[in-house]
Amino acid sequence: MEITLTHYLVLAGLVFITGMVGFVVRRNALVMMMCIELMLCAVNIVFAAFARLHGDGGGHVFVLMNFAVAASEAAIGLAILVEIYRRRRTVNVDDLKTLME
Amino acid sequence: MEGLLFWFCGGFLLLGGLMMVLQRSAVVSAVWLVFAFICAAGIFAVLGGVFLAVMQVLVYAGAIMVLFLFVIMMLQGPVLEGERKLMPVGMWPLIAVPPVAVLLLITGYLRSDATVAFAAAPPAGFGTVEAVAGLLLGRYLLAFELISIVLLVALVGALALGRGERNQPWK
Repeated sequence: MEITLTHYLVLAGLVFITGMVGFVVRRNALVMMMCIELMLCAVNIVFAAFARLHGDGGGHVFVLMNFAVAASEAAIGLAILVEIYRRRRTVNVDDLKTLME
Repeated sequence: MEGLLFWFCGGFLLLGGLMMVLQRSAVVSAVWLVFAFICAAGIFAVLGGVFLAVMQVLVYAGAIMVLFLFVIMMLQGPVLEGERKLMPVGMWPLIAVPPVAVLLLITGYLRSDATVAFAAAPPAGFGTVEAVAGLLLGRYLLAFELISIVLLVALVGALALGRGERNQPWK
């Protein structure tokens, strides 16, 4: 069977849904951040697939931009988590509801 | 050949993502995510983005996931913190959302007659370092410069957050 654009879009959709579900059901803030990374990865696959469809490298450039965004997000997010852990001794989001209560 | 690689890498990418969500220990989750990212690099390679595949392994599976593993080890120590309790009961109907979404995706895929086929071969030099560099420093020069500012701000922000409360300049 020939591999078409639709195959890649369905694959990226499934990966995105996996990351989304993980973000909702997991309570560990570190794992939640990893789920965000997985969702970004799904977006990258869509970019690369459309770059291949149009034969245009612009999609590749924006995947590289996404790498930079993901790296920034990981750096800032992990720094915030380390700071939260210093104060509260936990990274479980169920214990970090002070603002909500 | 392309089809074989697609099913192989795509299947393992999904497996890696699912195992990351299902594992209780954060360290095991992180290792599964590294596995998933390497499979995603395979997908990029199948799509002709050779440079992207290399960067995916270097930046994602290498740098970002090492940072994650480092923080997990630092925060949780030898005792791995699992999930202590289930979702609240009121949230349980939400579990139905992903299977429905998957079903919609699959039916949409099966019903669409207009599956878009790729061109037989990408243009010469597609996805090589040279082609991507030409675009980065040509058509997308502004975005390239702006993303460097984003990285600089993230660097300064992470440093400021990581300094600890006692040493903050406003104290």
